[in-house]
Amino acid sequence: MSKVTENPRGNCVLGGINAVLGAIDRACPIFHAGPGCCMQTSAGESGQAGGKTPFFVSSVSIPSSNMLEKEVVFGGENKLRSTIQGTIEVIDAKAYFVLTGCTAGIIGDDIVSVVDEFRAKGHPIYAIETPGFAGNSDYGYETVFKVFLDQIVEKGRPKQKNLVNLLGIIPNHDPFWSGNFEELTRILNKLGLEVNTFFTQHQGMDEIKNSGAAALNIIVNPWLLKDAAEQYEAEFAVPSLRIEGLPIGATDTTDFIRQIAAALDLDTVRVEAVIAEEEEEYVYNYLETAIGALSWKRFAIVGDSNMAIGLTRYLANDYSFTPLLTIITEPMFREEDKERIKNRLTSLEYAKPPQVLFESDQYHIAKALAENEEITLLIGSTNEREIGLQKDIQCSVISFPITDRLIFNRTYAGYRGSLTLTEDLYDNL
Amino acid sequence: MAMQLDISDIGTRENRLGSITGYVGDLQDLANQSNCGSLKGGVRCFSQSSTCLSGCALGQLSGIRDVAVIHHGPAGCSVTGAQIYTVTKQVAKKRGVVNNTVYIGTDMSEEDTIFGAGDSLHDIVVETNRRYKPKAIFVSSSCATGIIGEDIDSIVAELRDEIDVPIAAIHCEGFKSRIWASGFDLSDHAVLTTIVKEPKQKRNKINFKNFYESARDDIIALFKNFDVEPVFLYANATVEELSHISESLATVCICGTLGNYLGNGLEEKYGVPYIRTINPLGVVGFETWLREIGKVIHKETEVEQYIQAERSIYLPQIEEVKKELEGLRAVLGMGPGYTFEVSRVLQELGMEVVWAAAWHYDKRYENGDIPPAMDYLLKNTPNFEVSVADQQNFEILNILNTYKPDLYLSRHPGSTVWAIKQGYPAVYVADEYMIFGYKRTLEFAHTVLDTIRNRSFEKNLAKMVKLPYTDWWYKQKLDLFLEKTK
Repeated sequence: MSKVTENPRGNCVLGGINAVLGAIDRACPIFHAGPGCCMQTSAGESGQAGGKTPFFVSSVSIPSSNMLEKEVVFGGENKLRSTIQGTIEVIDAKAYFVLTGCTAGIIGDDIVSVVDEFRAKGHPIYAIETPGFAGNSDYGYETVFKVFLDQIVEKGRPKQKNLVNLLGIIPNHDPFWSGNFEELTRILNKLGLEVNTFFTQHQGMDEIKNSGAAALNIIVNPWLLKDAAEQYEAEFAVPSLRIEGLPIGATDTTDFIRQIAAALDLDTVRVEAVIAEEEEEYVYNYLETAIGALSWKRFAIVGDSNMAIGLTRYLANDYSFTPLLTIITEPMFREEDKERIKNRLTSLEYAKPPQVLFESDQYHIAKALAENEEITLLIGSTNEREIGLQKDIQCSVISFPITDRLIFNRTYAGYRGSLTLTEDLYDNL
Repeated sequence: MAMQLDISDIGTRENRLGSITGYVGDLQDLANQSNCGSLKGGVRCFSQSSTCLSGCALGQLSGIRDVAVIHHGPAGCSVTGAQIYTVTKQVAKKRGVVNNTVYIGTDMSEEDTIFGAGDSLHDIVVETNRRYKPKAIFVSSSCATGIIGEDIDSIVAELRDEIDVPIAAIHCEGFKSRIWASGFDLSDHAVLTTIVKEPKQKRNKINFKNFYESARDDIIALFKNFDVEPVFLYANATVEELSHISESLATVCICGTLGNYLGNGLEEKYGVPYIRTINPLGVVGFETWLREIGKVIHKETEVEQYIQAERSIYLPQIEEVKKELEGLRAVLGMGPGYTFEVSRVLQELGMEVVWAAAWHYDKRYENGDIPPAMDYLLKNTPNFEVSVADQQNFEILNILNTYKPDLYLSRHPGSTVWAIKQGYPAVYVADEYMIFGYKRTLEFAHTVLDTIRNRSFEKNLAKMVKLPYTDWWYKQKLDLFLEKTK
């Protein structure tokens, strides 16, 4: 039901889908939508996720049928057909995906039939029939995986014991997605694993097709891809391991490694050697050189659950700061997910647990922050800068939407990322 | 044709002004066809992303101080609200004022598209008013609400009895128009019909329609020479200020596309003269514009003195830099309010315009005249190639590849990015005041020089980047996908 949302943080499904497709090497989305949908969703997603845009096609270069009144009245299938034909001629892509805007969704254009005509001619083109109003960007991410699993992942590929799919980090929505994938891939490579991310190192359609050959899905997210996990298991015999929140710092990253090692029965000697190398010889080796650089803080976090869990746990468990308030900003509907997230945020090793709120409306977010007078460090999105200024406390912008930082492959994930996070908190004192 | 200021929804530019988005030809031909009435825009059977009118409409309105913009639609329509929010706050901070405008999305769902969300919209407006106590409320529709037939006019009419601040319905169904500038007209129409009051007294003020008032201090100082004060619209304007713009001496604008509806509306309804010269970009534009202002406010002598004093400072410097710009070849892609103005300035600076692409083209403005920039070019400059396209990135890159200019200029950041990826130095004319007056024209000339002198980034990048377009496309004619309308 429609409700009041000040400064909405999520996009529509279309935005979510477009953001994910933008990270697949040489994949071209085709919008069957109104003239503004592509620009609006591009600007609202990657445009607010740290300032970089998808490299292959983005915003002005994405084909769109730009549906007008004529199509609303008479149907837009002919316009879609000529748009697809033109796209295949003009854009040199490895795969094409047709997206459905609200307009096409409501008037009921038969997108699948039009796409099938081109499939029959041998073009690698896929229909995504989920219209904009069907949900938010997170649902867009899950919708893309549904399309992968229903239409692209190939059955009968020989199993590869050391291949894993690394999932749960949303490209062009999580501002640190590139760097997060890079750091977690680095760690998994050290364990002797090959990693499918689908979205980095020019991975794309080949890796998606081959993902059924993986030995394990590692889902780094406390709640997304529940259905995809079930489908991978049922149709491709790929089990999933859920990592309930982005691992940041020694404690959670080591735990991340041990869970994977157990799931894949990896050689313990090698695993422990990697942990020792990363923890002792790397992370703490640096941390001990700047003891006391950051003064003790009582902190509040505002962000999506994946990042909020990672940040809260690192700062409380590893850095001995005091958690006061964690606000989860993405809408979610299953109670079990909220419970899992709450549990992860409150079962801390040393600290008193923070208050946990689930809230998307900037009005209530600002109110909750204003009411807590003990906060001395606020970590949130660009939207929280204002309340940070009003409270006259340190404010670090780390979660979506970020419109005042440029982020290529910076990461706070894993071992190395935790050092960067600590540096950035100091820079922002 | 009289403007219809007594209705809630106005026609699009296509319908009101005969505006088009599809054309390939040249300046003379475009103007001749406009004049004899035979100009019909083409329609593309293949297109890349355009933009809808909601960004222009709601972007303008959300700049007004302490108002609420309620975007009734699915989350994607309002998601850039957060960006608008940041820009609004930053622009206000720069000026030293506080702007408490809020941008609200209604997060329309699948269920709402079936059962309608009129009741919840009513409640949302009431709740917004209770929470934020805005000075005015703008309620916008979207494609989805338009198709399911949500009657926002009736909802807003009902709310007028319950809420004691001005409240307007903005008809932003994106499928209405190919021309996003129609959104500027929607915002002007809302201001004219719900906020502006009947004049009680004349004030020594000039309405200045612009985007982000970056040249505010300079313009205040400029107008002080003539004993008038500017009222900048709409960024950071208060609702109270807006209610009095019918009492100003004149309306001027930085961009004809932006100012057309408000300027003509204020003139037609309240007799506030609208300055319709070419725009104050470059030397000729600035002087023509300023002289007309002088005439309207009866300060011709003071204007002339000012012009002579400034000329003696800046013209020798501009002449100097012109020597280095002489003969450079440029391609432009901008909204029509800028394309034809900047084409003129480039020629003033000694450069050659090899292709000008306008994001749309208005055959005439609200008062029935052909846009002054176009008129000026026809009378004063050599003919050059022109296309009209709602962005259409693939066409721009084809033009660049064919003509290989020294420079590409655009007022759209996404467009310059692709030119640079293809190896062309590009100037993003982001600030609407980048070429305003003598000083900034001089600075602009230096910016162009700086841009073309160091091309290392573009050269290196273009070597590494594989663009999405097929080799086949670069060999095609530009109008391949353009179908003539009957």
